[in-house]
Amino acid sequence: MPELVRVQSSSRLATVLRELAVPLVSVAIAAIIGSVIMLIAGFDPLAAYAAMFKGAFGSGRQIGETMLRSTPLMFTGLAVAYGFRAGLFNIGAEGQLFMGGLSAAWLGIVLAGMPRPFNIILMLVAGAAIGAAWAFVPALLKAKVGAHEVITTMMFTYIGRYIVSWLVTGPLKAEGQIPQTNRLPVESTLPKMHEILPFLTPSRVHLGFVVAVVLAFFIWWVLKYTSLGYESRAVGYNPWASETGGISVSATTIKALCISGALAGLAGVTEVMGVHMRLFDQFSAGFGFTGIAVALLAKNNPIGVIAAAILFGGLSAGGGTMQLEADVPQKVILIIQALIIFLVAAEQIARWIIGRTGRRGAAENAG
Amino acid sequence: MLADIFTPDLFASAIRMATPLALAAIGGTICERSGIVNIALEGMMLFGAFMGVIGTMYTGSPWLGALIAMLSGMGLALVHAFASITLRTDQVVSGTAINILSLGLTGFLMEVIIGHPGTTDPVARLMPVFSINGPTQGVLGSVWRWVDTIVFSYTPIVYLAIIIAVVGQWALFNTRWGLRLRALGEHPRAADTVGISVIRGRYSAVIVSGALGGLAGANLTLEQVGSFTENMTNGRGFIALAANIFGRWTPAGSYLASLLFGFADALQIKLQLFRDVIRIPSQFFLMLPYVLTVIVLAGVVGRAVAPAAVGKPYEKA
Repeated sequence: MPELVRVQSSSRLATVLRELAVPLVSVAIAAIIGSVIMLIAGFDPLAAYAAMFKGAFGSGRQIGETMLRSTPLMFTGLAVAYGFRAGLFNIGAEGQLFMGGLSAAWLGIVLAGMPRPFNIILMLVAGAAIGAAWAFVPALLKAKVGAHEVITTMMFTYIGRYIVSWLVTGPLKAEGQIPQTNRLPVESTLPKMHEILPFLTPSRVHLGFVVAVVLAFFIWWVLKYTSLGYESRAVGYNPWASETGGISVSATTIKALCISGALAGLAGVTEVMGVHMRLFDQFSAGFGFTGIAVALLAKNNPIGVIAAAILFGGLSAGGGTMQLEADVPQKVILIIQALIIFLVAAEQIARWIIGRTGRRGAAENAG
Repeated sequence: MLADIFTPDLFASAIRMATPLALAAIGGTICERSGIVNIALEGMMLFGAFMGVIGTMYTGSPWLGALIAMLSGMGLALVHAFASITLRTDQVVSGTAINILSLGLTGFLMEVIIGHPGTTDPVARLMPVFSINGPTQGVLGSVWRWVDTIVFSYTPIVYLAIIIAVVGQWALFNTRWGLRLRALGEHPRAADTVGISVIRGRYSAVIVSGALGGLAGANLTLEQVGSFTENMTNGRGFIALAANIFGRWTPAGSYLASLLFGFADALQIKLQLFRDVIRIPSQFFLMLPYVLTVIVLAGVVGRAVAPAAVGKPYEKA
């Protein structure tokens, strides 16, 4: 039956739809299980989802907020996806993000008084570089002694967080009681979207969103059309065959994990330059970890990452409204996220459901 | 000052700190010996820690709380087993999903049951097993002080962890159960051919590891802290996996490696008391166990060999 379908509808659209079926059904099942959990806990899931939707897409400002929250997730989602394509699980995107944020918070002050475009470009490049550097030791250990990157990048996340915690309470601390760095001068920040395009509703969303979307297309191009991307995918698909085919697995592993780290570092840079204008302990709401869910939902496709990041950005933006209006703890979003990861990874569940409904539909048509 | 740092309670504290790591690491050993990677130990520990507190709160007994913690770890393990054995999902991804699920579930249930985020109220704890009145005077007194602190000062799960390490070590290499378990992780096809059920064997190994992860959580909340704080495991599940590797996938090795990490943890806590003398920011002490994990992995992994079939889903021929 599935074979038949494949022959009949070989159009491009059908291919895309087939690719989308599993993620879409997975999100739907996760939402249903989420509502069962809410029901058991005594909440009204319909009210919760309605409030969530309103909070995410209800007005121009809310849409801006969703875009804002999807921005770091695009970067970390791309980071994790690029790693996965090369057979690497960069679970430590959070740590690389922290280091990116740190570099922006420091550099932004140093560059005070310089022209804004210069600062923006330099801070983005520097943040990517330090993100890559933070992934380099785990990459080297993976390539040379086979230390699993899941453990090492995780450990580097804790180390990075403590470094940031030390710097914002000590050497880089601004005047006052709160442990945070000095506010960046305006020339070291990313402009808000409505400053560039005045017809947009004023909201917090900044230029980082555009950078992330452009970068997603760039990474898609790198993976598909460059030898670097080809080597990464080849090593991810079959390291032994790649080695035999003349690709250095260890060099490709190091490159891929560093690229992943660079992408995650950018998430930290844009959060500091576009949202908080400074650095403090809690500046990331676990974006590195949510990036894993984003990448998996996107099936590691960079273009898919854009859509998945907007979905999770919407969940996050709507979560606050949900807690406020339907009184449901925001943590339920984490549960839904975990369920989505599960269902996308164990795609047989979604396929089984698609198969059943598809078959029923076909039977009804025949009858 | 050295005499102030290297006191008997430093070593006792090292053994206490090692306990949750060791239990989870042995859980990781058993799981990986069967051929299944268990990144989810972090989540199982966290869920166990939470359910241990909730269980104690409702039953009034920390013993029942610990039992509930184990059952909760087993519940999450069953999900991991179903995903990675039956559905043949990527085991690392399934484990990550469980970690996030556990973070969300404990946070959500905390607000539903306790009514606020953050930390729960303290609950009844498991008390030290022994209480012996030894000599207090003279040389004998100071010798007894060391012996009492290092040998007789612990709560039940601390002793239980040592027993599990010893018995587990013996069983893995001397019983039919151990031989079968190792066969599953080294060459499942061969095990299958001689009539060992790969599916059942792996399910039970994953579930045992969940029980140990849950027990590790119970040790954290019901013996060490006395209450639950969101995300309190703080990466211990990952450190435990490193300890399992450092311990060469053996229960005794896992315990000894955990002791090293436990000692690093105990030392950093102790050194923080001397902050004014040493003048190093506390964050650097807090980093110690994580840095140590990286160093350990950098140094040993090349020489430590994982079970051959670990991480690979098994499809019956």
